[in-house]
Amino acid sequence: MTRYATPKLAAYASLSAVGLLSALVFARPELVALTAPFLLALGAGLALATPPRLTVAVTLAEERALEGDDVAATIAVESATPVDRLDLYVRLPDGIELAEGRNPVALHLAAAEPRELELTLHAVRWGGHVIGPTYFRARDPLGLVAWESTAETRPQLRVYPREDVLRRVLPPAETQVFTGNEVARVKGEGIEFADIRPWAPGDAVKRINWRASARKDDLLVNESHPERNIDVILFLDSFAEARRGDEGTLDLAVRATATLADAYARRRDRVGLIGFGGILRWLVPGAGLVQLYRIVDALLDTQIVLSYYWKEIDVIPRRTLPPNALVIGLSPLLDARSVGALLDLRARGFDLAVIDVSPVPFTPRPARGLDVVAYDLWTLRRDALRHRLQQAGVAVVEWNAGTPLQAVLEEVRAFRRFARHARA
Amino acid sequence: MALAATVLALVLLSLGLILRWPNTIPWALVFAGAGYVATRGGESLVDGWASVVGVLLLLTAELASWSIEHDARIRTEPALILRRAATVAALCMAALLVNFILLAAAGVSSSAGIPIAAAGVAAAVTAVATVLRLVTVRGR
Repeated sequence: MTRYATPKLAAYASLSAVGLLSALVFARPELVALTAPFLLALGAGLALATPPRLTVAVTLAEERALEGDDVAATIAVESATPVDRLDLYVRLPDGIELAEGRNPVALHLAAAEPRELELTLHAVRWGGHVIGPTYFRARDPLGLVAWESTAETRPQLRVYPREDVLRRVLPPAETQVFTGNEVARVKGEGIEFADIRPWAPGDAVKRINWRASARKDDLLVNESHPERNIDVILFLDSFAEARRGDEGTLDLAVRATATLADAYARRRDRVGLIGFGGILRWLVPGAGLVQLYRIVDALLDTQIVLSYYWKEIDVIPRRTLPPNALVIGLSPLLDARSVGALLDLRARGFDLAVIDVSPVPFTPRPARGLDVVAYDLWTLRRDALRHRLQQAGVAVVEWNAGTPLQAVLEEVRAFRRFARHARA
Repeated sequence: MALAATVLALVLLSLGLILRWPNTIPWALVFAGAGYVATRGGESLVDGWASVVGVLLLLTAELASWSIEHDARIRTEPALILRRAATVAALCMAALLVNFILLAAAGVSSSAGIPIAAAGVAAAVTAVATVLRLVTVRGR
């Protein structure tokens, strides 16, 4: 705890000194009468100034919340000695706002009197937020001496991104071997009808198509597509972002990643995550609710970290990118390293779709001058970049803020369905 | 001269309050006190109103300090405001009482000679040194 004298103490001390010496020099008793109140205030103030023995604790009603939720917080304060005036301030991180309650607050605290202050915090933005530190300042009754310190308790609030509801997700080009919800292109045991073929030894009797067999006068059996699971890798580019106010491309990308992870996990598909940026993060594909929580928790720590290190796709562990996996890239396509990594993935034969989280809505067009030309050139270069990715066989769709993610996915789906490789 | 000192005191006080400069307040009080003493220049009798003027100066200092310290961002409990007002009132009453006693004592023994004056100087210097020592102590 730091003790310090307020400007008032110095002022009163100076006035007392000047007054007393002047009274002696000029031999005027009135000057003593002018000075005595300040001396009395000094004496009384310093006699009453007792250092506080405070305990301050901040607790949250919940440790996890969704974007937009309100969370109750309680500040418990108690002091073994009386505190005439106590100023309390809980520092709230970016992304957390005060919805209700008083912060900062000034109050009086009697000895051994427990006080609880209720705050309602509003989770504005996803992320792992640390509430605090809590600063407090105690003063003596006359405000001559103050004590300042910081409370140790700093509870953490994990705010998860609010997810969209997706009616259907992107299908992959290839499926995996385990049972799932995706109709495979290959033929095998399943429900979805695929074709009819002549009977062969070993075929089950229940698969014989009796009507077709009667018409062809030969035994024909039904073939079907099996339902398989898929591996999806969500590739989140965190090298750079465009931000305007409280919203940015990273926020959109993180929310979309959480939405996609949730949608695929519900289908019992295996989902993995690659956070490709200044800090590289990855999660090996896995299925189930625990994997979904792992992904969302990993997303909360995603942030833009400035880095000049040239990262290539080789830095990603091999197990993170299983064969036949569908890779969905979410990137503002602002950094050459992430664009290079996406092209590299495609060159290695991965089934790749890119959602271009457009930075254009976050960068207003300049009004005049050369800036306008530069802005137009930048947007043209972005178009050219998307075209380059499309030429490489990557489904790229520009996603502007305000457009539902489902609409973007449908565009990607349409591209993947109708686009064909151009052969020279 | 008394008028000039009073005007200067008012200007300094206003500046301190408007610009939230606590360092101008003591100067304003010094000039206000000087203005009062200047009005008493030729008088040999002790003025009984000095005790009231001293308390008014203290009240000015307390209210100015309260005003400068006040931060609208900090929500203050109403009980705390009442408590501070009561503290200031009690301090002023106590100061008034002390001043009456002091001036009464000064009226009884108006000329005490060199030894008492030396003791007064020593007491004043000791008081100032003690206060300055307290001011410079930081931390614990």
